[in-house]
Amino acid sequence: MLTIKDLDVSIAGEDKPVIKGFSLEVKPGEVHAVMGPNGSGKSTLSYVLAGRDGYEVTGGTVTFMGQDLLEMEPEERAAAGIFLAMQYPVEIPGVANSYFLRQAVNALKKARGEPAMSAADFMKKLKAKAEEIGIRPEFLKRDVNAGFSGGEKKRNEILQLAMLEPRLCILDETDSGLDIDALRTVSDGVNALRTPDRAMIVITHYQRLLDYIVPDHVHVMADGKIRKSGGKELALELEEQGYEGLLGRAA
Amino acid sequence: MTAIARRPVSRHTAPVPAFAELFEHEQQHLPGSEAAALDAWRRTRFARFETTGLPTQRVEHWKYTNIAKVANVAMGLASRPEVKLDDVQRYFAGGPLARRLIFVNGHLATELSHVGGLPEGVVIKGLDVMLRDDPDRVLAALAEDRALDASGPHSFADLNAAFLQSGAWIEVADDIVLERPIQLLFLTVGEASAVMTHPHIIVKLGARAKAHLIESHVGVKDGHCLTNLVADYEVGAGARLDHDRLQLGAAGTTFIGLNRIRIGEKGELKQTVATLGGTLVRNETDMHLQGSFIEAQLNGVYMPIESEHVDNVIRVHHEQPDGHSDQFYKGLALDKAKAAFAGKIFVYKDAQRTNAFQTNNNLLLSDDAEIDSKPELEIYADDVKCSHGATCGELDPVALFYLRSRGLDRDEAESLLTYAFAAEVLERFTDPAVMKLAQERLIARTPGGANLTDML
Amino acid sequence: MATALETVQDYTAKAYKYGFSTAIESDMAPKGLNEDIVRLISAKKNEPEWMTEWRLEAYRRWLTMEEPNWQKVGYPPIDFQEIYFYAAPKTKERPKSLDDIDPDIRETYNKLGIPIKEQEILSGVAVDYVWDSVSVATTFRAKLQELGIIFGSFSDALQSHPELVKKYLGTVVPQGDNYFAALNSAVFTDGSFVYIPKGVRCPMELSTYFRINEMNTGQFERTLIIAEEGSYVSYLEGCTAPQRDENQLHAAVVELITMDDAEIKYSTVQNWYPGDAEGKGGIYNFVTKRGACRGKRSKISWTQVETGSAITWKYPSCILQGDDSVGEFYSVAVTNNAQQADTGTKMIHIGKRTRSRIVSKGISAGKADQTYRGLVRVLKGAEGARNHTQCDSMLIGDKCGAHTVPYIEIKNRTAKAEHEATTSKISDDQLFYCRARGISEEDAVALVVNGFCREVMNELPMEFAVEARKLLGISLEGSVG
Repeated sequence: MLTIKDLDVSIAGEDKPVIKGFSLEVKPGEVHAVMGPNGSGKSTLSYVLAGRDGYEVTGGTVTFMGQDLLEMEPEERAAAGIFLAMQYPVEIPGVANSYFLRQAVNALKKARGEPAMSAADFMKKLKAKAEEIGIRPEFLKRDVNAGFSGGEKKRNEILQLAMLEPRLCILDETDSGLDIDALRTVSDGVNALRTPDRAMIVITHYQRLLDYIVPDHVHVMADGKIRKSGGKELALELEEQGYEGLLGRAA
Repeated sequence: MTAIARRPVSRHTAPVPAFAELFEHEQQHLPGSEAAALDAWRRTRFARFETTGLPTQRVEHWKYTNIAKVANVAMGLASRPEVKLDDVQRYFAGGPLARRLIFVNGHLATELSHVGGLPEGVVIKGLDVMLRDDPDRVLAALAEDRALDASGPHSFADLNAAFLQSGAWIEVADDIVLERPIQLLFLTVGEASAVMTHPHIIVKLGARAKAHLIESHVGVKDGHCLTNLVADYEVGAGARLDHDRLQLGAAGTTFIGLNRIRIGEKGELKQTVATLGGTLVRNETDMHLQGSFIEAQLNGVYMPIESEHVDNVIRVHHEQPDGHSDQFYKGLALDKAKAAFAGKIFVYKDAQRTNAFQTNNNLLLSDDAEIDSKPELEIYADDVKCSHGATCGELDPVALFYLRSRGLDRDEAESLLTYAFAAEVLERFTDPAVMKLAQERLIARTPGGANLTDML
Repeated sequence: MATALETVQDYTAKAYKYGFSTAIESDMAPKGLNEDIVRLISAKKNEPEWMTEWRLEAYRRWLTMEEPNWQKVGYPPIDFQEIYFYAAPKTKERPKSLDDIDPDIRETYNKLGIPIKEQEILSGVAVDYVWDSVSVATTFRAKLQELGIIFGSFSDALQSHPELVKKYLGTVVPQGDNYFAALNSAVFTDGSFVYIPKGVRCPMELSTYFRINEMNTGQFERTLIIAEEGSYVSYLEGCTAPQRDENQLHAAVVELITMDDAEIKYSTVQNWYPGDAEGKGGIYNFVTKRGACRGKRSKISWTQVETGSAITWKYPSCILQGDDSVGEFYSVAVTNNAQQADTGTKMIHIGKRTRSRIVSKGISAGKADQTYRGLVRVLKGAEGARNHTQCDSMLIGDKCGAHTVPYIEIKNRTAKAEHEATTSKISDDQLFYCRARGISEEDAVALVVNGFCREVMNELPMEFAVEARKLLGISLEGSVG
């Protein structure tokens, strides 16, 4: 589904590479966890996959469902089925949450040549999904992320994820700022979306999230590349030894 | 068919003939008049003053002040009355080691001044000395600043140039950190007839130099006296200037000040101004941020009482990227006073990532007083964060209630809140002695302030 | 990948949708302006003697006045002798019913999406159609008459209710108020007149649709709305003009008057032809709009969405005379390409406990320049007056300008005025977030801008809000940033 080969990335305007020779293969139905200390390049990876400005790909390729991902605009990537749940979701004052989501859902449908959803059908689906994720209806009328608490923002990302039904979800530090109850609801929401044709990349600093979203593969990233890969037990190993212990040995 | 022709409406008023008579009479007695270039320059500027005239309130940045009423009258040049050290010592600031130039009605009082022990690379001189000894350098310095005069001729700057007589010349060479503050103390002594004085301050800080300048304007005797000051401050790359200005004018005095500030890359300026006296005080500041990564902070408080009038006009020019400027001005108007503030932030096309802020909060404390506020933005770069806020109102009823519920009576509570409103700015003075002088004057001006004296 | 700015610049400006012109035979006065032209206009309209004199008085004042130059807009001098001051569709008589309207005019309004028909798209909105300054049709007249509401063209009102016109005309904007108001007072050809009697709540939105058609004509319409004690009316104004290479002058005057407990809500969606991307052509929109809250507890609310015109120069204002009266100004102004706008409001607090609220949202893109200019003045007797002003500017691209010039003048100690303003660029983070959810960049800009303006858009009547929202998107095409 997704093939990243020898990817090199630096911040635009700076020479220093942030991602160096990063490779990863993700197949449908798989959940990959990418773990790493601060500054290891995890968030950069997620932004590059989603197509944010300000990064320069200096080498390597990224292929998604047979297409050259790096050539695509952010909205084209979204239409192709990539979804990034952001670490810091953006506030858009004056735009109602439900309105925003409907715009997005219909934009994706249009790009895929499907008919737009009627307002009634959309609201019905939205309300059902919101209830599953534990989002109150009045929340849908509020402005996109404006004045939301950290936990509310993360839930809102998962609601968008549920509505947009992507093929590949990238969860960037979705656990940061969540208390234990919120972590559980958010994880339940994500787990409900695990299907044989959908893949996920879960980016996290801590092993904690992986107790709830159990990965098939765990990759430890440091200094811009994967330093160690393994099964879900690698996360536990990391938890015990810390990055230094684990990577010191690996190196 | 009739042609539709119209006469342009004049926004200036012609000077009274007394100016020309005085200029003809005094011109050859002014310091440096024997130098042809300086003499010619004075004449040119006087001619331009005559052609331009004095601004009326139709000139946008004179909207809130009818200056012709006080300035377009027959005046002589101020003389130099005797002043005793004992009378002025209480206005000394900057600590025991401060270097000090004292001016009486614009004339340098050498016997009261003290600028000894200057390190190499530092010059502190009376401008009259410079005009006599090295007029070309003075002219060169003034020419640089004239280039900033983009908005057309400035009547009072021209008048100042025409009668240029005295003032201060301060130079600090590259990399010199001047620990001891410099105080420029201007004393105004009222005379029997109407007089005027035209001092000029020139301050040049070299690259990475640091200095602390205290500028005090004190009226020691009432009387019709116009002080028309022009001040040029140049802050070099990486240099820092701390500038405290305290204005304690007496009754009958008019103060018109034009400050032109230029700051180079990574330069820093902190300026705090308190205007606590003077029948009419006008402070006009033109600040140019000419390099990137400049930090500039302008603080001010003004509190006219009785029928005093204060007008602040500030223009901040962000010419280069990554600059940061902050204007924090507070106004209080009592009795029949009028307090005006017009602050403008320009962000030039290249000045991306500028952060520029402006706050002007006002307290209107009498039914006969007036507050005018005009916080303005003119922005030509898109990646900027600029904001301004202005408020005008009376004392916060919640705060009043709070104080009264803690046992203060209404008058005490009002005095305290009024004082506190203004004092917030005074705390930004770099020099503690200036702050204390300002606090004392503030208390004296605050209704019921006598109760507050133990606060100091 | 293209930045947001580049994408915006890559858009080709969408052609102005209303830019066609209609071949209609017109009755036109000779070019230029003099006393004879003023008399001719007055005669054409069969006006009473006092009205002719009133116009001449305005003309004489205008001759002594100076064209204002303080506003932050630039344009070449206007040659008033090259302008036609009177142009009207040539019909033998004014149509007696909607069925008698010239089919070409009818077709034009159809094309503009506002058919001259009752109960169609604009059901529930009564419309006065103004064609080159002359009212050509008014719908729902009879129904309104039952309630005693007078709604129709200014010329008709002058014939049927001269006493009302005489009593109120020029009492809010006097003949010599300013250069363009004086010009309008001398040469205005028509406009709308509304009178809401005591205690009547107008059951539908009243609307005037202005259309400039002829070349080299000036449009000078005059609107006068009077709301008697305890009445209410919501009035909408829309405008378009053909796309022409020459600049056309539009100098309107609007006067509103509210008595005790009355309320007028005045909404404008201004979409005059803005000129092309290089700034060629377009309307000069120099308008004086002012309301007087004469009565106690009365209210005047201005809402404007300004997307058109090459130059906009207008300051809808409120004179708050009655105690406890309220003035509001909600504005969205969008300038793109070479457009210039200098707009804002004046709130003059005279009565006790008068309140005003100003919300201004400016969006500047392309090479456009935009200024908010506002005055809040509290006079000495305005005990307990309150003002709150919020003024936000958004810049799209690095070649445009945004300026804020507020004046706050307070003479009463119990008054309270607060002004806040911000300027910032459209957020790349917000645009990326939308795009990452599949929304195209163009739609993302429209979405973010609409959110930025929502506080103002919410003030528009429903029928207008939808149109205005679309207009914002269209105006910014070719601009994104």
